Formats: sequence, structure tokens, C-alpha cells
Amino acid sequence: MSTDDDDILSAPVPDPDAEPTAAERAHARTFADLVDKTLSGRTPPAMSADDRALLEVATVIRATSGGLELAPQRTRSIVEDALRQAIGANSAATSMGGVTPITAAKSRRRWVPWAIAATSSIVAVAAIMMLWLRTPKQLAAPVAPVAQQETPANWKSRPVELPGPITRDKSGDALSRIDYIFADRLEGFRERRLRGGKP
Amino acid sequence: MTRVFVILALTLGMFAAGCTSHDREPAGGSQSVTRVAEPDDVIDQDLMIALAQAKNFHHKAKVYISDGKPAEATASVREILSLRFPAGAPEAEDVRLDARALLAKLLVSQGQLDEAMRTVDEGLAQAQRETFFVANLHTVQGEIHEARAANFDSENDKAKAIEERRAAITSYDRSIQINTALQKSLLQKKPTEPR
Repeated sequence: MSTDDDDILSAPVPDPDAEPTAAERAHARTFADLVDKTLSGRTPPAMSADDRALLEVATVIRATSGGLELAPQRTRSIVEDALRQAIGANSAATSMGGVTPITAAKSRRRWVPWAIAATSSIVAVAAIMMLWLRTPKQLAAPVAPVAQQETPANWKSRPVELPGPITRDKSGDALSRIDYIFADRLEGFRERRLRGGKP
Repeated sequence: MTRVFVILALTLGMFAAGCTSHDREPAGGSQSVTRVAEPDDVIDQDLMIALAQAKNFHHKAKVYISDGKPAEATASVREILSLRFPAGAPEAEDVRLDARALLAKLLVSQGQLDEAMRTVDEGLAQAQRETFFVANLHTVQGEIHEARAANFDSENDKAKAIEERRAAITSYDRSIQINTALQKSLLQKKPTEPR
């Protein structure tokens, strides 16, 4: 059975200057209502095949014109799905299941450095407190006696020890005395060097 | 800003941890229990070099004396007075005082009594402690006074000659006094010294 719709789609294209008929106007008004309902999310459950085809064309034209915006939830879902595919996760999973939402990741990235900084600061403060608390104890503790080995006397630079007074006849005999002094100090010097400076 | 704060906190934390761990180390038992002799009070190479030089100048002077060249011998002994010893080395004073005694005797032998007396007086003025070397210098001072007295005698200046002889006796007395005190000190030390 042929209808008016069939006539519109199958009939020859009218002249551009021709006046629209009453049937054409009524059909245009009906289709406009249909488009409005579809855009507002109230698509009629049943419509003719021609109307559906026209409606799809109208939707495509509107989408390509750039005026179409996705709902935020839908946008997020699409991005999450794309990210999931990028990291190789199961694409069959739900859109909010396996992947951390972008907003959540952002918020985590914001508090992680502060957490590290706070932990480090706490460690530093604790270490400084330990230093302060331990220092008086160490000062108060008795110092362990260090076994100080006395440096042998013959290793030291010291006044010249003469066995007795310089007699008058030996008053000018400085040569024999300097020989004695040099030999004595050389002995101590060699002994110290051979033992590496340790008594 | 956040990064700067994090880096600052981490650095502070590591620094504090490092301080505490370093502070712990001495208690670990690795501390040395012996004390090595301080380098400033032991016989070092500088002292040995100075003593060796003094010794060589004395030997050189002896050669000149035996060769009949008192002026050269005097110059050689005078070199000892300008030797550089390590700061604070007690040997320096003793060696210089002994060199002054010999130098004064050499000057006396050359008739330079005033120069000899100046040499002795300078030595006595610089002496920091009473030693057998100081006593010896007083002895040489007495000899110089004696030589002066002999000169005044030859010039028939009896008064000055007597004055110089008195000064000589004073110098010898001072020498004896120092030697006696030092010997007494040595005798008191001997019983306590280990054999």
C-alpha cells in the first residue's frame, strides 16, 4: 500500500520556486516535532522507516556541524575506555572498574609529594631530637680512661743533661759537649723513627 | 615549589640521619686506646739538623784553632748563634750558651775583651733557666774580668784592676752558686730514679 511518505521520497523533485502543498507542510511540521523529540531524548518507540532514515540523516548532519556535545558522564566513559585499551586492560570491563579515574589520579598526584615531604620532615625532626636528647647523656657519662702511654723521655726534646758542672779547664770544650748532645738526641730520634712514633 | 620543599625535607632527613649514625660510631669500640707522642715535644728532624750543623761548626772551629787561625774559628763559632732551632726546643739555649762561652774565650785570646764581655752578657740576659751552661758562662765572664784586671795592672791602674778582680770573684761565685744548686738538685733526684 502506498502512503504520502512514499510519495514524498519516490515522487519527482519539485521545482525550487514551487509553492509547498498543504500535505508537504503538514509532513514537515510532523517531522520537525520528531526531530525535536529525538534531540531532547524522547525518541518515539515506533516510526515509519522513511522517518527513521530521515531522522538518522538529520542526526548525522547535526553531529557533523559541531554543535553536538556529549554528556560529561559519557565523555568520561569514552576516555576511560580509550585509556584502558591503551594500557592493555580488559576492554570488556566496566568503564569505571579497573582503571583509576582521571580525577582520582589527579588528586592522588597532588597529595603524594606532600606525604613524602611530611614523612621526611618527621624523620629529620626525630633524628635531631635524638641528637639533642643523647648529647647530655654522653657528656654526663664518665669518660673511659684512655691508656695514655707516656712518651719515653729520650724521645723528647729537652734541656741538655750534663753529669755535673763544667770545670774551668773544660770551659771551652764545647766540641765534646755538642758531640755528646748530638749522639744522645740521635739515639732517641732513631728509636722513635724505628718504632713508628709509638712507645 | 612542592619539589623544592620535598628535596629540602629529604636532604634534611638524610643529614640528620647521617649525624645520628656518625655519632654512634665512637661507641662501637673502634676508638684508639693509645696516644701517640705529640709531634711538638719529640725530637724531630729539624732539631737533629740544627744540632748537626752546630756540631759541624764546632769541628770546623777546632780545625781553625789547631791551624792557628783564631779569627776564622771565631767566625765559625759565631755561625752557631744564628742557627735556627725548632721553636721551644730547650737544646737551642744550651747549645747557644756553650757556643757563646767558646766564642768569648776565643775573643779573649785575640785581646777583644769588650766584645767577649758583650757576648757573655747577651748570653746571660737571654738565659731562661739556670743550667751548668749558664754557670760556665759566668766562669768565662770571670776570666774576662781577670784579663781586664791584668790589662789594668800593665797600665798601672791598680784601682780598676782591683775592681775587675772583685768582679771576677763575683762571677766565679755566681758560677759556683749555680753549680752547687744544680748538683744538689741532681743528688735529690737520684734516689728516686729507676735503675
